[in-house]
Amino acid sequence: MVIFKNKFTKLEAALNDRYSKERDPWGLEPSRAINDIKIVWPFYKYYFDVQLHGKEKILDQPYMVVSNHTGQIPIDGLLICTAFATELDQPKLLRPLVERFLTSLPFLGRWSSESGAVLGDRVNCLNLLKRGESILVFPEGVRGIAKDSKDHYKLQRFSKGFLRMALSSKVPILPIAVVGAEDFFPYVFHLKKIAKFLSVPALPVSLNLFPLPSPVDIYVGEPYVLPHELSAEALDEELEPHIIALEKQIEELTQAGLKNKRSIAQRFKS
Amino acid sequence: MNAQKILIIGIQGAMAKITAELLLKSNPGIVIHGVDSRPIENMQKRANFTWQQIKYNRTNFEKLFREHQFDCVLHLGRLGHSPAMGNIHKRIDINLIGTNTILELAQKFRAKKVVILSTHHVYGALPDNPMFLKEDAPLRASFKYAELRDVVEMDQMCTNWMWKNQNEIETIVLRPANIIGPQIKNSITQYLKTPYAPLPIDYNPMFQFIHEFDMASIIVNAVDKLKTGIYNVTSDDVISLHEAAEIIGVKKILVPIIAVEQLAKFLTPVWKFPLYLIDYIKFPSTLDNSELKKNLGIETFRFTAKEALELLK
Repeated sequence: MVIFKNKFTKLEAALNDRYSKERDPWGLEPSRAINDIKIVWPFYKYYFDVQLHGKEKILDQPYMVVSNHTGQIPIDGLLICTAFATELDQPKLLRPLVERFLTSLPFLGRWSSESGAVLGDRVNCLNLLKRGESILVFPEGVRGIAKDSKDHYKLQRFSKGFLRMALSSKVPILPIAVVGAEDFFPYVFHLKKIAKFLSVPALPVSLNLFPLPSPVDIYVGEPYVLPHELSAEALDEELEPHIIALEKQIEELTQAGLKNKRSIAQRFKS
Repeated sequence: MNAQKILIIGIQGAMAKITAELLLKSNPGIVIHGVDSRPIENMQKRANFTWQQIKYNRTNFEKLFREHQFDCVLHLGRLGHSPAMGNIHKRIDINLIGTNTILELAQKFRAKKVVILSTHHVYGALPDNPMFLKEDAPLRASFKYAELRDVVEMDQMCTNWMWKNQNEIETIVLRPANIIGPQIKNSITQYLKTPYAPLPIDYNPMFQFIHEFDMASIIVNAVDKLKTGIYNVTSDDVISLHEAAEIIGVKKILVPIIAVEQLAKFLTPVWKFPLYLIDYIKFPSTLDNSELKKNLGIETFRFTAKEALELLK
């Protein structure tokens, strides 16, 4: 880990600056978060060969980062957070909003909150943005990540809650697209009825148990500007055009990324 | 201070004793009468501070209100909800029927203000609780534990009564976070002070603490400054359960939550750890204190949570 030491100095300084005076109320342990990123980073760099495109569009300010959700298990979230924590001049510790299912689990719930994840709730979301945190949202939810092979890279409809939060907080939306994560588990089938019976969000069955080393590209889009006159309490019909526009922007980023997608075979050949 | 004659219910409790001291210090002209169903001990005699042990029933309370004509009633006498605090019938009798009687009599005998000490436990500790529950958050404590049902019902009864009678009497419901201090003997203080306290290795929820002195100051302020309403009471900072144990310096035994649950069941006669508290050491139940600060100002608390914990050492 010593050889990567310099990679994390900026992040350590940023977190120390931010959390040394005031404790994070959601349970973030900065040292734990940094250690986790240090553990993920070799996988990020050498196993998934992640490349972040368009990082110059990310300014030193809070964002609501909105991404497509792919890959069966939320590795995409880990990779996005690692990218924002290690690749930027002013590193950001993104706060991913997670399902209630995760926060209720022993060990995993504790680990996720100490690493920076927060229960995806409107009150939490608003309070995080009010405190100047950048959050990571997957508006497709479980529908996005838990797709059968035939639906890979098909963007699911976005829920509207995140848009209302962005309108309330006036924090800009930063759309991003992750390409390559669907190939972690190329052949997958979902046991939906059994998942419902077991009260778990999804139950994927895959040929491979461990994610394949598919190269991942993260594309950063232009920040989506919401009109000033649009209220957080606007009717769903008034929000719909913006949801469609954001979906379209992420869809276009994904399709452009798929044209240049690096395959596992190409990666090993090179 | 407007209130001249104050009734404190539950005067044998540490919180009530500290509050009485602060009230007497803040206004020497005040007259306090304390009552409790338990034997009253360790009280310092004063000319303007009297107390008596009474059985909590309508006849006794009616006599008390008729004789004293109180301006203000501080209801700090809610029975705790651990099994060690008596059987459920006794608790319901005191917490629900007793409180209802007190509210009725306060109105009948024209008291100007009633302050009720509820608890943050009414919100419940659940995995989908957001950070910072406002006063209008649903009270979800009784979903799982019957022990908490009367606490939630008492709170709801008081708040319903409060809005119904807001034009006739000022009512304040305080929902404090974990009150800790050298004199307080509630479940969380006893748990945190247990040598070799079993801590869950698989959970580490965020906690809020309020020092007993700060809590008593808030009650004094409630008598004087707060208007009808419900107020969450907590200091600004939050601390994880494990960090709290480290600050106090107890020797931690890290075990899975299942083991804590089994230990609590097995050791009930000697270790007074109510089972409902299991949820509160698993999931957060943290309060938004903005309403209180809006009314009392930013400098409301003397102790931070960390300082309050350090004083428990």
